[in-house]
Amino acid sequence: MLGAGGASALAGCSSSPSSSSTTSSGASSSGSKPGINTGTPNKGGSATVATLAEIDGFFPPSNHWDTNGFLYANTVYDPLMWVAADGTVQPYLAKSLTSNSDYTVWTMTLRPGIKFSDGSDLTSSVVKNNYSALAASALTGTALKGITSVDTPDSMTVVYNLSAPRPSFAAGLTTQVGYVVGQAMLDQSAAGKTPTPIGTGPFIYSSWQPNDHFTATRNPNYWRSGLPHLDQITFKPIPDDTQRAATLKTGGVDLILTNDAVTITEFTGSSQYQLVDSLTGVIGEPSVAFIMLNTAVAPTSDLRIRQALAKGLDVNQILKIFGGGLTESINGLFLKGSPFYSSTGYPTFDPAGAKSLVSQYTAEHGTPALTLTTVTDPRLERVVQVIQQMWNQVGFNITVSAIQQATLITNFITGKFQAATSYQFGAVDPDLNYVWFSTTTVSPVGGIGLNFPRNSDPDIEFSLQSGRTSSSQSTREVAYKKLDQRLAADLPYLWLEQYPFAMVGDQRIQNFAGLTMPNGAPGYGFDEGIIFPSQMWLNG
Amino acid sequence: MTRYLVRRLLQLVVVAFIISVLCFMLVHLLPGDPSVVILGPNDTAHNRAVLFQQLGLNKPLYQQYFVWLGAVFHGNLGQSYLNHESVTHIVATGFPIDLELIIISQVIAFAVAIPLALVTSRRPNRALDNVSTTSTFGLLALPPFVIAPIMVAVFAVGLHWFPATGYVPFSQDPATNLHDMILPSLAITAGSIAVYYRLLRSDLISTLQEDFITMARSKGLGNRTIMWRHAFRPSSFSLLAAAGVNIGALLAGTFIVEYLFAIAGLGYSLVQAVQQRDYLVVQGIALVVAIAYVVLQFIIDFLFTVVDPRVTRE
Repeated sequence: MLGAGGASALAGCSSSPSSSSTTSSGASSSGSKPGINTGTPNKGGSATVATLAEIDGFFPPSNHWDTNGFLYANTVYDPLMWVAADGTVQPYLAKSLTSNSDYTVWTMTLRPGIKFSDGSDLTSSVVKNNYSALAASALTGTALKGITSVDTPDSMTVVYNLSAPRPSFAAGLTTQVGYVVGQAMLDQSAAGKTPTPIGTGPFIYSSWQPNDHFTATRNPNYWRSGLPHLDQITFKPIPDDTQRAATLKTGGVDLILTNDAVTITEFTGSSQYQLVDSLTGVIGEPSVAFIMLNTAVAPTSDLRIRQALAKGLDVNQILKIFGGGLTESINGLFLKGSPFYSSTGYPTFDPAGAKSLVSQYTAEHGTPALTLTTVTDPRLERVVQVIQQMWNQVGFNITVSAIQQATLITNFITGKFQAATSYQFGAVDPDLNYVWFSTTTVSPVGGIGLNFPRNSDPDIEFSLQSGRTSSSQSTREVAYKKLDQRLAADLPYLWLEQYPFAMVGDQRIQNFAGLTMPNGAPGYGFDEGIIFPSQMWLNG
Repeated sequence: MTRYLVRRLLQLVVVAFIISVLCFMLVHLLPGDPSVVILGPNDTAHNRAVLFQQLGLNKPLYQQYFVWLGAVFHGNLGQSYLNHESVTHIVATGFPIDLELIIISQVIAFAVAIPLALVTSRRPNRALDNVSTTSTFGLLALPPFVIAPIMVAVFAVGLHWFPATGYVPFSQDPATNLHDMILPSLAITAGSIAVYYRLLRSDLISTLQEDFITMARSKGLGNRTIMWRHAFRPSSFSLLAAAGVNIGALLAGTFIVEYLFAIAGLGYSLVQAVQQRDYLVVQGIALVVAIAYVVLQFIIDFLFTVVDPRVTRE
């Protein structure tokens, strides 16, 4: 795994859970796929899940949810919409969501009789108040831009009025902005108090000791009949990959989340453990690792330099050294098999071509010098050292820098970087990544801009708008293929690999990757590490 | 002795005052609006206004200091802008963990180092001494982040004697707590054993060549009595000084072990807060750790007077 988590927190908050979800080899449960058991579930018991890191809170308008955050959220809350196994977005907490003919008005009806954990009712006014808090937040407001007003004609109906057609509107409600919290929680936050999680979810918040554990107990009044199966679930952040795997092996936890290639390789094919990963079966966009190049600062503002960096990077060699053969190199946002995949024209490894471009630049401006930044992680620092070597060999003068993730994210937002490793873009629908590529989110260096590389390409904006406003699959395919091709031409990103996520469970934990939607359809139960704890159960 | 201790106590108060000023200034020395520094960039104008009111951020700096100090004396160290957790709560839950890790590791370190040094110093450069000296030299070269994964691989994954990660508070389940803390404590202990053993051995060898030891021997006292009653006490100065520095360094300095064993101690919380720029948490923990360090040095000074009352004659 090559990507640094530089933008992961932001990707988690305003992007979405991606739809890449599948199972891979490993021990099977009751004849089903690993992580899925359709047999009769046992009731009761307590399960413990090890996560990658601690989250910063449960409040959607102000906290940054990454994969860990969505795990906590699916425990105490429910999303309004979620992704079915066929890739369609379907109602979850909502009962229905329909649009007018031009996709500018979306009408949602809520399921009747649903109560929050504090006993209050789920009503349209609560949903609207959630929207208001989210829209007012600097963190989540961007994701809701384009919604001009929200009406509540009755207690069970919410009407979203949009400024422009958006056929993919439903997909946005599978993200952080689609999780509904209780009115009391909104009130607590408005009063400047720490909001205690109040949701409609399968479990009720019990205790949270940051960096130690989060425990939730079964919601006896959960609106989904017969769920959850467990009496209690505990999440424990274990930041060290090796220790997390060791804790699973020693029985300290039942299930671990990992994005570590070594751990995934270690457990793949094991007869003692069930492994589910995100490396195949992608429908939307997977999370991908890349090196981001700032197009607004020298020398990466020069296209020849960006081309030389792309041509001078032997990604396959890097993956061979560090990835253990787990993933393959990629040429854009979409993977083979996706309807949006195309031969993007992304440059292939060509050291001679890179040297030629560097020579041209050097003749005009002198030797190109730039800093390649990553987060403070020993493995990533070794990776960037290899990249530094590759680029120096084609004529660059590369300096490597490792900084804290929070600092790197700030640098991304303000454009204060030249080249940096990161991963991002996991999304159910390509439109959810609009803000990261749009010309409307480009800011000068020093200003706040969500188009981190400051790449302002009118063709990209046209493609994004085309994909956003059209309901025609063929039009959208053309649009997003064009987006990928323009990114390959502009080169604000040097693509590396699909970013892997996996869950590994012991033989006791069952159906951790299985999900049945409220309408009975199979759902995406494993979404780049995001699962639904309501339907897991314990064997024996 | 009383005058000596009172003087030390007054010095402690002065140092504590300086520490409090430095910790207070931590937030104010950072560039930008203190309310943004404390609440983060995503909070609302309303919450910023509430914070200004609470902390008196519109008042002169010295007044702000006394407002802050008053809150500290009332046990209010502020709250994390990230998860709104009270800093006092973070300290209250994290400090006992660090304290327990330090106590267990140092008890083990002294329990191993002192008897070993007493035995080997009697016959220096013999087989046991050579083995011990070489072994402790090796331990000194092994940092906790190397020892911890090895111990986990052997004792947790291999032998299943201990858990790989995890922590249960002592008050909740003493037996499980001690069981869980053994590997993390051992990971810290190794370096301490090496330092204590080598210092004490060296001082004991020197002490055993003193005239009063020869006299004790000539009086027919047994080896055990000579070692424990006559040689150990005057040889323990360096040991005590080293222990003071070492334990002080372990206050919030056990974060690598806490990170590896996923224990939310004070050190781990401090590093997390630094990484996330959660300045009030950093400020609160820094204050508590610094004060604890000063208090620890006071205790060490007191112990010096017990070991050798002559130190009070300054």
